[in-house]
Amino acid sequence: MIRYLVLYWTFFKQRIKVLMEYRVNFLIGASSTLFVQAASILSIWVVMRQVPTLNGWAMAEIWLVYGLLMLSKSINHMFADNLWTLGWDYVRTGNFDRLLVRPIDPLFHLLADRFCHDGIGHFVTGLILVVVSLVQLNVVVTPLKVIYMIITVVSGGAIFIALNLITGVSGFWVMDSTPVIRVVFEMHEFAKFPLSIYPKAISAVLTFLIPYGLASFYPASYVLGRDVPPTLALATPVVAALLVFISYRVWLFGLRHYSSTGS
Amino acid sequence: MAVLRRTARAYGAMMAMVPKLFMAYQIWVWMQFIVQIISLVILVSFWSAVYAGESSLSGLTLAQTLNYIILAQIFAPSTDTNMVFELGYMVRSGQIGMRLIQPLDLQLALYVQKVSEIALAFVFNLPLALIGWLLFRYHVPADPLVWLAFLVSLLIGNALLFCFDWILACASFYSTEVWGMGMLRYGVALFFSGALVPLAMMPGWLRTISTILPFSQALYTPVSLLSGITPLSGMPRIWLAQLAALVALGALSRFTFSRAVRQVTVQGG
Repeated sequence: MIRYLVLYWTFFKQRIKVLMEYRVNFLIGASSTLFVQAASILSIWVVMRQVPTLNGWAMAEIWLVYGLLMLSKSINHMFADNLWTLGWDYVRTGNFDRLLVRPIDPLFHLLADRFCHDGIGHFVTGLILVVVSLVQLNVVVTPLKVIYMIITVVSGGAIFIALNLITGVSGFWVMDSTPVIRVVFEMHEFAKFPLSIYPKAISAVLTFLIPYGLASFYPASYVLGRDVPPTLALATPVVAALLVFISYRVWLFGLRHYSSTGS
Repeated sequence: MAVLRRTARAYGAMMAMVPKLFMAYQIWVWMQFIVQIISLVILVSFWSAVYAGESSLSGLTLAQTLNYIILAQIFAPSTDTNMVFELGYMVRSGQIGMRLIQPLDLQLALYVQKVSEIALAFVFNLPLALIGWLLFRYHVPADPLVWLAFLVSLLIGNALLFCFDWILACASFYSTEVWGMGMLRYGVALFFSGALVPLAMMPGWLRTISTILPFSQALYTPVSLLSGITPLSGMPRIWLAQLAALVALGALSRFTFSRAVRQVTVQGG
């Protein structure tokens, strides 16, 4: 474990050196997602300032749902963004062979190969929204609530990564797995808002099948003391662990079917 | 005449290349379709919840807003010129060298290509339009004059946005890396084009910024006519404003490119 942490730090330092070759672009890149999120947040603000609630949720409460999701998303974006490139940048080009001949876990190598600084913008957005929401709503922040939110965010990040890994493994067969990943990944957009605004079927999918709701709506409801099944509000780490296990098995299955370009 | 025919053939070939390129990546087309449906369901659910206790907001009813939002989703490709990334990667990879020695005007060639891409994106959005209609029964005008006015406004709006993006893309000659700039442009355009919220709902100061920036000209202005927010009688004044912006941005984009291209360095090898 410690060996892998040291290795990750080495990879990370190299990546930062590469990024620092274009310093201005690094800064713009790191803040770029901030602008994209600002567009969505500004849109919600423009609408919500005219109505008291969205299906019983005040604007500040929506910021908590949105913010928790952004924090989870940022973990995936910063530390596992390379899963998107597995098909076209590693399998198709034969670059994946490079990962297989080294004495470390190829999945770890793939993830450590590229820290994605664009995710910093998501992290900052999420953090600002969560803090603003808690302050505006006068939520009593106990150490237990802080620990709960940290565990939820980390688990939410693991859910994002696990789902991207399950879909990304298709890259071993279809060469470009981006469309497959994106179709499932885009479902997280639903979870930016309270699931109660959607038809029941969509809400069920986001709770049990593609459980992005466990990274936003249920934890936010729990923190705000809303009526939500505690089993669901506390299920995030368990579901995340289960999904990580399944996704790793799927990865191993894909790995066994990998055939090199041979050139 | 022969020169004109030859020119038309050259640019026509560039336009014809676009559908072939799209069809080579069919899985991407399907992905885009599913992502758009997801987007549509989210937007409709969101707006329905917003209007749950309101009969109108900023003078717009739920039906008018949904009409606008669905049509804006269908015609949203009009704001995606993607020029910042494309020209940027050409400069970075050195492909720009090959493009500059071709006997074509690079800006015009890429504009023609973009128009073709956008037209094709509209065609690919037809299933979305059909599903949107089946699910949400939005209205489109029956008057062909409204459609004609819409098309004129869309074409001018897209052309002036292309010129604006061309100016932004010229920054790549100096920075050689454009990812951040491209994402920034995407975020600003997403909000100020009116793709997420009709401009009519924005507070005065935001509406002023939206009007000054060119993004809304390629989406909100034409789609608001199609969805009945802007009356047909208001179009001549809007066209004039769009044309004036097109001439100014067109001239500025030519000037900027002529200066920026002097910075280009293509590595040999």
